[in-house]
Amino acid sequence: MTAAFELCVDDEVVEPAEDWHVAWVDSEHRIARLSNGSRSLLAAVEGTGGDWVVTLRGRRIEVAVRSWRERMLADAESAAAARGGPIEIRATLPGLVVSVSCDAGSEVAAGDSLLTIEAMKMQNEVRAPRAGRVTHRAVGPGEAVATGALLLRLE
Amino acid sequence: MRKDSSPQRPPFRRLLIANRGEIAVRIVRACRELGIESVAVYSEADADAMHVAVADLAVAIGPRAASDSYLSIPAVIAAARQTGAQAVHPGYGFLSENAAFARAVEEAGLAWIGPPPATQEALGNKLAARRSVTDAGVPVVPGLLVALEDGEVPDLSSIGYPAMLKAAAGGGGRGMRRISRPEELPSAVESARREALSAFGDGTLYVERLISPARHIEVQLLGDRHGNLAVLGERDCSVQRRHQKLVEETPSPAVTPEVRRALFDSARRVAATVEFHNAATVEFLLDGEGNHYFLEMNTRLQVEHGITELVTGIDIVAWQIRIAAGESLPAELLDPEPRGHAVEVRIYAEDPYAGFRPVAGAVTAWRLPGGPGVRIDHAVTPGAALAPEYDPLLAKVMVHAADRPAALARLRRTLDEMVVGGLQTDLGFHRWLLDEPGFATGDYHTGLIPERWGDSGPQLDPTDASLAAWLASEARQAAAGTAVGGDAAAQAGPGRELDRAWARQAREEALR
Repeated sequence: MTAAFELCVDDEVVEPAEDWHVAWVDSEHRIARLSNGSRSLLAAVEGTGGDWVVTLRGRRIEVAVRSWRERMLADAESAAAARGGPIEIRATLPGLVVSVSCDAGSEVAAGDSLLTIEAMKMQNEVRAPRAGRVTHRAVGPGEAVATGALLLRLE
Repeated sequence: MRKDSSPQRPPFRRLLIANRGEIAVRIVRACRELGIESVAVYSEADADAMHVAVADLAVAIGPRAASDSYLSIPAVIAAARQTGAQAVHPGYGFLSENAAFARAVEEAGLAWIGPPPATQEALGNKLAARRSVTDAGVPVVPGLLVALEDGEVPDLSSIGYPAMLKAAAGGGGRGMRRISRPEELPSAVESARREALSAFGDGTLYVERLISPARHIEVQLLGDRHGNLAVLGERDCSVQRRHQKLVEETPSPAVTPEVRRALFDSARRVAATVEFHNAATVEFLLDGEGNHYFLEMNTRLQVEHGITELVTGIDIVAWQIRIAAGESLPAELLDPEPRGHAVEVRIYAEDPYAGFRPVAGAVTAWRLPGGPGVRIDHAVTPGAALAPEYDPLLAKVMVHAADRPAALARLRRTLDEMVVGGLQTDLGFHRWLLDEPGFATGDYHTGLIPERWGDSGPQLDPTDASLAAWLASEARQAAAGTAVGGDAAAQAGPGRELDRAWARQAREEALR
């Protein structure tokens, strides 16, 4: 695959239709024209990061777009989660830690909100990938974090 | 004189529209064309709504809940008095068929734009309406005319099974039960009565034979205060989900000239049972043998009035207003010769892939079709969250062409041009419908959606999944401001509106 991303629709890897040309006809509203030399159609796109929705022929199609790095992180996380061993939770984007809802020693359930990072005026919640106990808290409210910065350790 | 020429002077100076959404915008347009100042009313949810923006004046009438705003008779009447409006147009839904509201409007010395309140009352009870139209020689669905008293289980041997249990005061499918076998009757009667009591305060039920397959055909009437009655043709409304219309067309592909004559004759007879003027629609079921049966008369403007306007060239809303001001319908309008074929599809904020359930959110992308023979009535403001309190209708897409095949081709082209982003709509259903053999040939009935589409429609086409994946990956690259493939989309794409920090971040990731 020449594309930089792994693409999933309904949890299944999909090969992108790379032979179609994409042109943005309304970039403000993210409307694109797809054409393959004999046919064309209009589609709307929404999303950020790895989560996108494409509206094509009236139907909304959710597409997970993962770079190889995100895929490896996700694989490592799910492997660690499956093993039950200690995992490190790191920032996936640069921003400001606005709140932390756990501390060293906190018991958390899978999906619990651990802390919130503000980036681009958007509040991004960091959630526990699995149940466990927080063994180390590396950041506090008001701290700026870079991509990849250690936030918490969970065991 | 042109048959639909404008009046010499405005019928009213100022008119209040007791509604919201696309129909309020539609009525504002009619007012402007007639030289009438329009007054919008709005709830707290609608301060920035399009119907407020286009009207000449606007009055806040209460909180978001419709019961405290658009359905509040005192609030609407007060807004009319406060602004010096001379007339009130209720649109459809909300207070449009509320006789108490119509009376309150007239008692306030204002003109009511609709059939008289007494007419609304006479036709409000379905059982009473059935009796009076039967006396007028209009066929009704074979059934039991007797109201079912408490505890009484009727003998349906004269009707046969399957049968439909209905609420006399009913509407919108409430209190309705399909009965396939005699054993089902007692419990169905009990639950339908309970539902009818809580919905309408009247638990009276009646039973009808189930007409299946059936088409849902309605006849548009326009009558003045001087005894002139125009029959403006029929509309076929057989594409329905939950007993509610999604697509309408005129003329009906199922109606032959003989059936049309019989339908129009029945519609005139129904109108003659009451004191009728202004606009109303008489609804019928049509069975496979061409027999028609009266269902009900709607004493208001219909959602789908636009397709009749397209084929007749008659502005129904303008004439509603002119009739209320006492004007006579000119002779040329009384027996119009419709031209061509018109179809309407309703674009709702609902998910046809999940049982047509309503969805929440905001429309973000909104690209409307245009070109010859296309009319779009809508009130969508992109970016504004839909108010979940109200009807999820986003737009009515109407097309008009010389004949049915040309109209369907035009509709296909029109839907191709339309893009809605931000939430799921039924646009994809309508595209599917155009390829559905029954619809394409015109040979369809009210069971089309349950039988052919079901709850979730066809599976996602793998080609579409593949196209969506490609576009999503291109969009992510464009948003990152970096072009892995070196595509010009990076410069022209949505990247510009995203922050540089994110672009930098993604570039770093891509380089790693």
